Amino acid sequence: MTSSDAVTATPAGGTPLPSARPHAEPAPHGLGASVLPTDALAKAQGTYAYAADLWAEGLLWAAVLRAPHPHARIVSIDTGPAEAMPGVRAVVTHADVPGDANHGRGVADRPAFARDLVRHYGEAVAAVAADHPDTARLAVAAIAVEYEVLEPVTDPEKAFEAEPLHPDGNVVRHLPLRYGDADATGDVVVEGLYRVGRQDPAPIGAEAGLAVPRVDGGVELYTASTDPHTDRDRVAACCGLPPEQVKVVVTGVPGAMADREDLSVQIPLGLLAIRTGCPVKLAAGREESFLGHPHRHPTLLRYRHHADGAGKLVKVEAQILMDAGAYADGSHEALAAAVSFAAGPYVVPHATIDGWAVRTNNPPSGHVRGEGALQVCAAYEGQMDKLAKALGMDPAELRARNVMATGDLLPTGQAVTCPAPVAELLRNVREAPLPALPKDCPADQWLLPGGPEGAGEPGAVRRGVGHAVGMVHLLGAEGTDEVATATVKVDGAVATVLCAAVETGQGFTTLARQVVQEVLGVDEVHVAPVDTDQPPAGPGARGRHTWVSAGAVERAAKMVRTQLLQPLAANFGMSTELLSIADGKITSYDGVLSTTVAEALEGKELWATAQCRPHPTEPLDDTGQGDAFVGLAFAAVRAVVDVDVELGSVRVVELAIAQDVGRVLNPAQCRARIEAGLTQGVGAALTEHLRVARGVVRHPDFTGYALPTALDAPDLRIVELVEERDVVAPFGAKSVSAVPLVVTPAAIASAVRAATGRPIGRLPIRPSAVVTE
Amino acid sequence: MTRSVTLPTTLDEAVAALTAMPAAVPVAGGTDLMVDVNAGRLRPAALVGLGRISEIRSWEYQDGHGLLGAGLTHARMGRPDFAALFPALAAAARAAGPPQTRNAGTLGGNIVSAAPTGDTLPVLAALEAVLVVAGPGGARRETPVSHLLSGRELLNPGEVVGHIRVPLLHAPQTFLKATGRTGPSRALASAAVVLDPARRGVRCAVGAVAPMPLRPLEAEQWVASLIDWSMVRVAGGVALAPEALRAFGDYVAMACIPDPVPGPDGGETPALPPAVLQLRRTVAALARRALGRALA
Repeated sequence: MTSSDAVTATPAGGTPLPSARPHAEPAPHGLGASVLPTDALAKAQGTYAYAADLWAEGLLWAAVLRAPHPHARIVSIDTGPAEAMPGVRAVVTHADVPGDANHGRGVADRPAFARDLVRHYGEAVAAVAADHPDTARLAVAAIAVEYEVLEPVTDPEKAFEAEPLHPDGNVVRHLPLRYGDADATGDVVVEGLYRVGRQDPAPIGAEAGLAVPRVDGGVELYTASTDPHTDRDRVAACCGLPPEQVKVVVTGVPGAMADREDLSVQIPLGLLAIRTGCPVKLAAGREESFLGHPHRHPTLLRYRHHADGAGKLVKVEAQILMDAGAYADGSHEALAAAVSFAAGPYVVPHATIDGWAVRTNNPPSGHVRGEGALQVCAAYEGQMDKLAKALGMDPAELRARNVMATGDLLPTGQAVTCPAPVAELLRNVREAPLPALPKDCPADQWLLPGGPEGAGEPGAVRRGVGHAVGMVHLLGAEGTDEVATATVKVDGAVATVLCAAVETGQGFTTLARQVVQEVLGVDEVHVAPVDTDQPPAGPGARGRHTWVSAGAVERAAKMVRTQLLQPLAANFGMSTELLSIADGKITSYDGVLSTTVAEALEGKELWATAQCRPHPTEPLDDTGQGDAFVGLAFAAVRAVVDVDVELGSVRVVELAIAQDVGRVLNPAQCRARIEAGLTQGVGAALTEHLRVARGVVRHPDFTGYALPTALDAPDLRIVELVEERDVVAPFGAKSVSAVPLVVTPAAIASAVRAATGRPIGRLPIRPSAVVTE
Repeated sequence: MTRSVTLPTTLDEAVAALTAMPAAVPVAGGTDLMVDVNAGRLRPAALVGLGRISEIRSWEYQDGHGLLGAGLTHARMGRPDFAALFPALAAAARAAGPPQTRNAGTLGGNIVSAAPTGDTLPVLAALEAVLVVAGPGGARRETPVSHLLSGRELLNPGEVVGHIRVPLLHAPQTFLKATGRTGPSRALASAAVVLDPARRGVRCAVGAVAPMPLRPLEAEQWVASLIDWSMVRVAGGVALAPEALRAFGDYVAMACIPDPVPGPDGGETPALPPAVLQLRRTVAALARRALGRALA
């Protein structure tokens, strides 16, 4: 029996893995149709098997010992008391890591288990496998670790001077950018200081996985991974195994936004399964989830904007300090985005920008949707509001005068060659009708800040309207090789897609089905489950699967199409271009030839494999210059807020967005993704900040970490989806998820400024910043 | 270790079960207790479930008082028939978390958990509610809710809060809560105001800013003397001048969050941090709005 036979998912006794099964009745199909995600119903009904639902015969339960200090020297670890407990099967620490001691994305600087030093609160120190989850938990508590507690470095500004927290030093990256004339000055100068808090990805399905040892000494990992091949390589390196002896099977991803790119449970699981020879399961609790995965970089931004008397931007000066936490994780790319987009989607002739990502003993920061871009958007849009005040101009008008268009240059010297319809986006949200004022709608329909039956008082409520524009980059930056491989198979009336792109809610499996339906005219398309036996497709972040993975699916499908049509075309002496496929039928341009796909196949299976690799990018040089980005996406958001100026409570009444999407491939999913991004932006603007006191995470739970509820979600108005196709992207489409999140906090802050007249420099916005005294 | 769950159907059975098993923990809605159990912080040797004791799951009138069962859920207290008699308690119950929590969480549990953010607690303090505690041998003793919340009196082993006696005042009562988001969340601060026109009294309690609800007694007496009681809830009438209302809010806030006193050696007085000053402003606004709504 192979190990995978032993693995089943418990709920509903159904299929162990979600498989793509289209509906029996005629359903929307092809590009541009609202094809339903295959797992949507199961997720809504609660029958979907998440990674935490995995089970195998005779499995052991793992638990991880996490450090109770943000900074400490480990004097000794005594695992004896834990090992002596009945039911405990293995205890592993740094001493049991047979391979590479360190791992990481880009920079391998994070130990699999803390060795001599603990560098952040909740860092993994040891792991236990036992025959019962409670035994594992008790055993973890029985491990005696002697710490010498050290003073934590928690202020990123002090990290430069502090003792190095890591052999690599405290500056993870310094990125200076010099563009144009450093001595240029404008008639009007405004300065501002901005702070952006620590947003957590807060996945509702916490990290979980199951490891099954293999007879060849390797291990199979069943996890909700979003980058299975990188996970495999890192686990193999730490376990001292060749990569082919580690297999990662992606299972039960509950929706992710790049937060699962970092290893949370994989290495302890792999080590324990190999050590015990038994399947081992680990399901993180809520607190462990908060401590284990990376967060958005808390960022301090100092800005000086120069403009001429007519409101044209002359120069932007900025210092951007990102708190990377103890390890580099995704900080290199987050900093590149922050520095490159520090001036925003505006034409700026001169820029002097310095960005730093520094190590501290705060919780680790890494990839979270819109990393880098969100923080600077809050700052440059704050500066535009300040500039408008100084010039006595309407803030939206000032923005309209400065927005960039296709052909303009970023401060990195890169020309924006993709569609950049920023002026059109901004015009669209400005012209959208405003929501009704409270006096014009029935009292019971006006939800005051504070909620129904809350403390809000109409007389103390001020309404404000604010605008913001922003941008994100698509695909990895600075020379990352963004490639994906996909295979398409046609057998009878059924097509199958094999691609290691993980569905994280971005809609890849739906899109892959639509692409094959479009190209091959086959209605029933299955997307195979993902594992590392397939060729890599890379991490699910920055819209890469919509671009490269779906692009690879399209190419493979077209190759299959050629194989299918060529014999027919040769038979009739016409080119394959003159044949079309629709609804399972092949017809010639003149209607003379008509046959079904199944007949044309003659019982054969047709396979094709193709790759998609976008044009290469280059790293930013030591003055921040270079063509570092493959593509850009833009959005404009208008926020309308009600502020109780005595209690400081804020309610977002409406968010209106116009977005540059390239091409709408699936209208329903496109809108759902935009609405999700906007709502997450409400959280970043108002409540979401993981609080830390001297490096110790406070309230790692959903009581202390307040996500927006249905009552906090405003009316969402998608004013316009601007469809200007990006010629270099497959289908001309741009990823849609990140940019609404990036722009929303800036728009809400702008609206709160308009309502209260107070300078809002900190996100999330605190009540004390809002109260007008 | 053997674990047991006992499900008594009367208060006296519950008391007997708790007396027989001193290590047992009583549980009603479990909205606080089970969180601790699930997180591994609490490992009760035995549980005594109070959910089947019908005598504490309802409420009744008793000579000018309401006798509320400790097992009343927040959802039950939020209903209109209850709200007509105890409007502030109903408002607090409706504000206490999402529907799932309100369906399970009980009034007695709110009192015994004594969380600083317990929403019904400032209302009970303002109403000067009295707890009826059931003890071994059918004994019943009464103790003011504030005594239990402040730790002046504790529950003895085997004792269970059976009922809560609340005066029926037939007068306006308000409860207001400031939160960090529009959806259900814990109070940053809360205020309850109860008018007692028969005695020309105002009673106010502030929740969530201290380990127990705070009563600003001087502010209550001061503002009660300024109210024109004949104009309370009279359309178009002004029972209290707006300046006095504002001053009441500030008075309450200063009483609950006082300025630091200078050290005994006359050293420098430490300034309050901005977050505390903001909390004080919040308390002032809540107290002012709560009294304003009660009078209007």
